Amino acid sequence: MKEKAQVSERFREFKAELTSRPSIVMGMGLRGFLRLLSLKNQWILALVALIWLWTLGFYVLLSTGDYPCQNLEFWDSSDFKRCQPLVYYNDLGLGGVRLFLVTLAAISSSGLIANDMTDKSLHLYLSRPISRLDYLIARFIPVFLLLMCVTALPNLIVYVNQWGEAGLEFDWIKNHKWLLLDILILGSFYSASYSIIGLTFSTAINRESWAAGAFFLFVYGSAIIIEIFYLVMLESGVGDDRILLLSVIHLLDIIGFYIFGTQPFFTAFGLEGIDIADIEVFGVFILIIGSCGLFVNWMISQMEANK
Amino acid sequence: MIEARNVIKKYGAVTALDDFTVDIPEGKIGILGPNGAGKSTFVKIALGLIRTTSGSITVLGEDLDRNTVDIRRKIGYMPEHDCIPNSMTGVEFLIEMGLVTGMSLQSATQRTHEILGHLMMGEEKYRKIEEYSGGMRQKIKLAQGLIHGPEVIFLDEPTSGLDPKARQEMLETINGLTEVSGTNVLLSTHILQDVETVCDHVIIVNNGKLQMQENVKKLMQRQTDVIQVRIGGSTEDFVKQLKKSGITATSGGRGLHVPYVNDKTFEQIVDSAVKSNCQLYEMERTTVTMDNVYLEVVD
Repeated sequence: MKEKAQVSERFREFKAELTSRPSIVMGMGLRGFLRLLSLKNQWILALVALIWLWTLGFYVLLSTGDYPCQNLEFWDSSDFKRCQPLVYYNDLGLGGVRLFLVTLAAISSSGLIANDMTDKSLHLYLSRPISRLDYLIARFIPVFLLLMCVTALPNLIVYVNQWGEAGLEFDWIKNHKWLLLDILILGSFYSASYSIIGLTFSTAINRESWAAGAFFLFVYGSAIIIEIFYLVMLESGVGDDRILLLSVIHLLDIIGFYIFGTQPFFTAFGLEGIDIADIEVFGVFILIIGSCGLFVNWMISQMEANK
Repeated sequence: MIEARNVIKKYGAVTALDDFTVDIPEGKIGILGPNGAGKSTFVKIALGLIRTTSGSITVLGEDLDRNTVDIRRKIGYMPEHDCIPNSMTGVEFLIEMGLVTGMSLQSATQRTHEILGHLMMGEEKYRKIEEYSGGMRQKIKLAQGLIHGPEVIFLDEPTSGLDPKARQEMLETINGLTEVSGTNVLLSTHILQDVETVCDHVIIVNNGKLQMQENVKKLMQRQTDVIQVRIGGSTEDFVKQLKKSGITATSGGRGLHVPYVNDKTFEQIVDSAVKSNCQLYEMERTTVTMDNVYLEVVD
């Protein structure tokens, strides 16, 4: 009886020591990331493994000196920017894994907000001491970290490996510091962009599987249509490179090449340099990502106000 | 506990709260009103989820215009609708809610087991929530609102969709848990019995306006025993005659309510009817419940 009374007293007097908002958001994000990597999400784990295997295969090709463009005689390597050493990283991290990357982004991001909206637990999260933006950041972190694992991390390992081959000299790091930064920026750029677009679909279509499908179709479907359209226009002599900006994949790739300090190019059935003003590229990018952010914010504000 | 001053909230052309002014004291307070009266809107504004169109509101001494997020550290919220993820167990869900509120893992875990102990949940707390009955889901929803030991908990239609037995259990649980944790309660409902069972103060809202604010006990004491009178002729004269006898009649329901003091009150009513040339159609001693009060105020 006495023990029970003590428990009740402690229960009554309980005052939780609550941590700061950034800590809450980071905690939510990290828990979400670990949930994505849990054994329940076998598809996600399989894709991560596949991407890493693909990267490994690519790296083996690189390290043996058989990188494909060295064997392709009909390409003039002086014009072929794809064969610049810096772009190896772009190929390694993204070129080879792009299909899997988009699939991974679609699967991992589709449920994050959609599930909270479907079971309406979103209301419970938003009644906690976090703002709408905090919640969105907390849902952004898991998919961002997951995508970083398959974009920046493999490149970083290659970087470290190359450093090892260079005899672990500190001078090598100093000489390649911009490459290191580029690797991190490129990984963050792709991860953040796909995370934001993925969360937008997760919010717009609050069914996990449908959201994943729509994301994949939007990214890949638009890329295929735009690419065919672009080639047809090119053949008819009225092509405009800006058409490529309507495809998310092409837009991100163009910016990816900027990050590595190389000129963007287009390769489907041939090699073409692309002539688009920087302001147009970045303007379209900001427009897309900004629209996604505003849309998600608006959708959640509607959920807050309604039952 | 909550002070609202001239609060107006509009959704497009619809005015949910119309110049709403109220001082809500500490304790267990019920907000009563029909569907669409503006109860949930008020709760959401008090929680900082939506902003007012105009007016000001203070919760636990904090101005909501300046602090809409951190105030929620002191508030617990139990929404009306089902909003619990089915894929989690009861324990996992409560710990997650504790963590999202900013508690440490250790503290959230300990508090979770304490609350579930008070809710008399045994092994079922380790079962997936999808296997829970409606009553158990409501209890878990209540528990998540109390996990961080808030100063006040907002309960939005907590007995909605429950059968009578589960409803009674839920009300007892609310009373028990808030009693033992010393938490203030703001209960929004359209069910009168919920207010009578849980609250010591009631606010009646209709069409976005405050209609009445009263202590539940006083309200019941003051108006429990009346004589319902229906007359023909001049009601004004009849009321004046009653006044001369020291009785104040109020309009209520289909006729007048005359406070019952003792059986002599019946004679005084008859005398007043004779003196004012009114026909006495009906005279019945009745108990005024919250239903009567509520219907009168809302009508």
